[in-house]
Amino acid sequence: MLAYLLKRVGLALAIIVAVIIVLFSLLHLIPGDPITIALGPRATPEAVQRYIEKMHLDEPVIVQFAVYLKNAAMGDLGVDVFSDRSVTWIVLDQIGFTVVLVVAGLTWAILLGIPLGCFSAVRPNTLMDRVTGILSVGTIAVPSFLVSIWSLLFFAIMLGWLPAIGAGEPGNIGDQLLHLVLPAFAVGLGWVGYLARMVRASMLEVMRENYIRAAHAFGLPPRKIVYRYALRIAILPTITLIGMGFSGLLSGAVFAEVIFARPGVGKLIFDTVMSRNFPVVQGAVLITTSLYIIITLLSDLVVAWLDPRVREAL
Amino acid sequence: MENQIEVRGLTLDFRTPRGRVQALRDVSFSVPKNQIVGIVGESGSGKSTALWSILGLLPSNAEVRGGEILFGDRNLLQLGEEQLRAVRGEQVSVVFQDPMTSQIPVLTYGQQMLDILYRRPNLPIAEKRKMAVDMMRRVGIPDAERRIDQYPHHFSGGMRQRAGIAMALLMTPMLLLADEPTTALDVTMEAQIIHLLRALQQELHATVIVVSHNLGLVAELCDEVVIMYAGEIVERGDVRQIFYNAQHPYTRALLECDPARVLKRSRHLPVIPGEVPDLTAPPRACVFSPRCSRVMDVCRRTKPPDYEKSNGQIARCYLLSEEHGDPDWPPRSDVITVYRGGPSRGGAVPRGDALDLPNSTAVSAGDVATPLLEVSNLCVRFRIAGALAARLRGIQDPHVDAVLNASLTLNPGETLGLVGESGSGKTTLGHAILNLVKAPSGSVRFDGVEVLNMAESKFKPLRRDMAMMFQDPAGSLSPRQSIRALITEPFDIHGIQGRDKDHEAERLCGLVRFPRAFLSRYPHELSGGQARRVGVARALALRPKLIIADEPTAGLDVSVQGEILNLMSELQQRHRLGYIIITHNLPVVRHISDKLAIMYLGRIVEQGDCDAIFTEPAHPYTEALVRGVPRPDPEHRRTLVSIEGEIPSLARRPKGCDFHTRCPYAQDRCRTEEPVERPLSDGRRVLCHFPLFE
Amino acid sequence: MSVKPSDSATGMPAIDSTGLAGDVRQRTVRETAGRERREKLLLFLRNGQGMFGLILILLFFASAIFAPWLAPYDPNQLDIPVRLSGPSWDHLAGTDQLGRDTFSRVLYGGRVALKVAAIGVSVSLLIGVALGMLAGYGPQWLDNLMLLAFDTVRAFPTIVLALATVALTGPSLGMVLAIIIVTLIPQYARMARTSTLAIRSTEFIVAERSLGANTFRILHRHVMPNVIGPLLILAAMDVPVVVTIEAGLSFLGLGVLPPTASWGTILNEGYLTIRDTPSLVIAGGIPLVLTTLGFTFFGEALRDIFDPRLRKGR
Repeated sequence: MLAYLLKRVGLALAIIVAVIIVLFSLLHLIPGDPITIALGPRATPEAVQRYIEKMHLDEPVIVQFAVYLKNAAMGDLGVDVFSDRSVTWIVLDQIGFTVVLVVAGLTWAILLGIPLGCFSAVRPNTLMDRVTGILSVGTIAVPSFLVSIWSLLFFAIMLGWLPAIGAGEPGNIGDQLLHLVLPAFAVGLGWVGYLARMVRASMLEVMRENYIRAAHAFGLPPRKIVYRYALRIAILPTITLIGMGFSGLLSGAVFAEVIFARPGVGKLIFDTVMSRNFPVVQGAVLITTSLYIIITLLSDLVVAWLDPRVREAL
Repeated sequence: MENQIEVRGLTLDFRTPRGRVQALRDVSFSVPKNQIVGIVGESGSGKSTALWSILGLLPSNAEVRGGEILFGDRNLLQLGEEQLRAVRGEQVSVVFQDPMTSQIPVLTYGQQMLDILYRRPNLPIAEKRKMAVDMMRRVGIPDAERRIDQYPHHFSGGMRQRAGIAMALLMTPMLLLADEPTTALDVTMEAQIIHLLRALQQELHATVIVVSHNLGLVAELCDEVVIMYAGEIVERGDVRQIFYNAQHPYTRALLECDPARVLKRSRHLPVIPGEVPDLTAPPRACVFSPRCSRVMDVCRRTKPPDYEKSNGQIARCYLLSEEHGDPDWPPRSDVITVYRGGPSRGGAVPRGDALDLPNSTAVSAGDVATPLLEVSNLCVRFRIAGALAARLRGIQDPHVDAVLNASLTLNPGETLGLVGESGSGKTTLGHAILNLVKAPSGSVRFDGVEVLNMAESKFKPLRRDMAMMFQDPAGSLSPRQSIRALITEPFDIHGIQGRDKDHEAERLCGLVRFPRAFLSRYPHELSGGQARRVGVARALALRPKLIIADEPTAGLDVSVQGEILNLMSELQQRHRLGYIIITHNLPVVRHISDKLAIMYLGRIVEQGDCDAIFTEPAHPYTEALVRGVPRPDPEHRRTLVSIEGEIPSLARRPKGCDFHTRCPYAQDRCRTEEPVERPLSDGRRVLCHFPLFE
Repeated sequence: MSVKPSDSATGMPAIDSTGLAGDVRQRTVRETAGRERREKLLLFLRNGQGMFGLILILLFFASAIFAPWLAPYDPNQLDIPVRLSGPSWDHLAGTDQLGRDTFSRVLYGGRVALKVAAIGVSVSLLIGVALGMLAGYGPQWLDNLMLLAFDTVRAFPTIVLALATVALTGPSLGMVLAIIIVTLIPQYARMARTSTLAIRSTEFIVAERSLGANTFRILHRHVMPNVIGPLLILAAMDVPVVVTIEAGLSFLGLGVLPPTASWGTILNEGYLTIRDTPSLVIAGGIPLVLTTLGFTFFGEALRDIFDPRLRKGR
């Protein structure tokens, strides 16, 4: 297990470094003066001067990169030249909202999708299975940003049941939950169908395996066979897929935040892109992608914990 | 004697897109208490289906049309799922064929066994665990207390099968069903499992039904035998009666085709011509009649009933009847009834057919200037882990020696059998000879030319002279190419122009007797035997001098494996081909080889004349192998297992002699000093400090 | 008529393994091959979902290609007096805030979608397959390097990558295409790589090598045909993904710029005027949903017929 852990963590770190390289290259490969590109036309001379100092722009690119890397390792992602606040703090300030949104969306999708998939697999080709199948395809067919727009239209504007804008009063949990309903619904809806289908397909495949047949032959109760034997194995690719699909969830969250005008790292990136404030964009993107990389790392580790074969593979 | 279970008139269909497959037709047999009954059959016989019917573990497209299965006082076919579940595991249990796929990989054996014991809710967990550990010990798993908490992939194949048996017997069922329990195992492991099953059956007073195509297994293990063909039972009886006085022509033919029973070494093995009928439209008459050498008119018109002899043997054949029967049937056991060629007409059967073809085509060493192939001290190493991973796991050397100092010689027209179990390195050696894998040291001289590790561009022309036949016939054919394209591909690869490729394709088809009409088909549309013929055709395309055949009979029924072997033999005669046959199938290799080379853990431990090795093995491992093959002769059951233990992993090669961990004759010297190859008086070479023959 | 194979020993035509005589066999073989093709076609026709999907796809193509003839109005034609009106006989889907006919704009939006899909999927497929086969068949270090590169690209949620790039280059359709291609390549490459790796060690590849086939021949004659099938099906299912990405990015103002009609820009305009009229967001969203449904059903039907082993869900 230790070897696997080290390998995975090493890989994750390597990718984070590679992400920084990509962000750096983007800035420097695009034709034009990096400063104007990064800060846009409305940058004041003082801002430009501060930027040059902070980012060591007077030195070669490699040095800039090394400095950034070193700072990033310690949590310092630079300073927003317009507001003079630390980029790291700007981002961390907002990221809580996004995480809440994503977790809420994913949670309800899991709570609904996995059991649906399970039941469908255990009773294939029944009415429930077919209905679930059609609904699954239906929910996958509507892109999440469209779900956001339409649910905003329908539930907030036309029916007025739920609030349309913002995250709710700070400190008022009830109000905040109310504001969370629509965005979380939109973010998670596509996943319900996706998870249901994934689990169903995985379970069907596992149930055909010889060891399930053996379990039947030994007279084990069907409930136990489904949950302790089949689901345990079928869930593994699903966990991996959730980890990998997290980036889709983040994308969905970005849209939801913009559409519902919710605070969060997605809205942050959007706003700072619109205002051409690349250093903040860079920091926010880095933190977001790192979050995603850590999530995939965690999902891989969970799979390794559940499946002894993965732990010991060379 | 009371019956533990009785099957009466079982008839079962499978609904498939092609139509209804009548897999079982009026199958009836009984299993007396405390006996071991074997169900013998080849592919398509329905033997496994009959077994699964007992527990209701059939696929969803199976439909039972009629019959009863009486167990105790109940008809199992009429039980609902709940009731069947009560029977499963508790009263009737199963040992599966492939231990690698029939055990759940994510739970330890301890957890799985505790699950099975759920029916004893009043037992505390500690008690249950004790029962489980006891059973593991009983089936011969060392260090059971600790190993029970390990996962299946920590166990080797043989150990996994033992664990599977432990799980099946945990609830001490009255009836044990075993589906090909040794097919997936090595020869030496097979012997151990047979011994184990016999011992356990006696200890636990269980009744066992064993399904197998392996006559040796059945002869060693069973008290009664049931023979199935194409969904019907054609004969039943006591094991001795069946093996010494078979009544049904199919049983007779099956026994004659088994190479382990053909005592006299012969180049040509008997074959039952034809194929199993299509069960969507089984013949109304005798099911075996299209292939029977003694077929009569009445056989083709109506289905024979079961005839019972005074000794209790039952066979479904008109030869036993009063009207049509032949009082001279069956002939003495040394007379061959199966004809080598097509089915004979009328009743004329050449008696005492000289099946052994004269002289092999091998040219003795003295006649030839250069041997066709000379391998000296060939080594092949593989890396099993990256440097970092190895260090983390405490592995000293991340390499394994798949082949170590292998030397052999092959002359034109000669056949060398390369024999070994899993991990012996025999396939790797074959690949190395053909330059398909890099070899760090040694020498391979083909026709006098050194070819080891030659650059592919230089080696390519030589590929016309050296060809390989692969183990998995359909798997070795590229799935999206037509057979025609595959057969003519060698010509394309070697840029041979000026030959009419279609003509060549047809010529090759004729050579291997592959129907020309199938040239436009694709690999997945061929049967196993047909795909193998394509493999032979491809190998022959450019008229090679040497063919390396990897397990040429794997997966083939005993009654038809002779076809491919006889074909290869014929071709060898005609073209003076040299063969290296890689196999673990000893009975077969005995008939077709001039020389043998026995491999263990990558080394050749004994090589020389085939007859000599079989009659008087010099190396203890060879002896274990030769004695380890179950003989299809109930009178010659082994009381002792020839060898214990398991094949060590290549990564943990024993010190000193590789074999000393399992050798019954091991002495101190064997544990510390590696043996050196030495010649024996009859020209053989052996790698042992104390060979059994000098 | 070819000579029937005969048994040399008896001089009698051998009844070969099918139990049939010569000419009957030949007829049977021709029939069998043709019958298989027909079976597959019938299976497809009988698959309700697949047929429905095919119809939707054809609708998509037809409406996009024939937009100039089908559209009742010029998509950029202004008509301020009737701005923001709901559906009517004059304007089937209503008008937007500048009085342009929504229905026509939707049709023209389909052209953008089609263009993006065609270019995006085909280019990434070609590059992805090539890279994937290379990674699978080539030396280990190349494989490791490519895997790292793919993982890095996949670490960016698509929208985040797009935002980061737009921060530097400004919005454009070309950039959207580039992002799509870059995002899609790792997916195809991974799949091609996995298939190549699996095939590399199969027996028939070893058989080809034993005959003397060189790497190029093996890759193009034996690896490629086995790899391309599942990939094409994946590509078909990716078309709606691509279209959705373009719509999403255009919605945020990062892709196609007004006044060009794209489903995304229509949705954007609809979102901004959502309290005035819902028709825009509905009209802009429906074609997205239908296209996604169509390709998804079609792709699934294909997969079920040609490669039942692939029934894994996406």
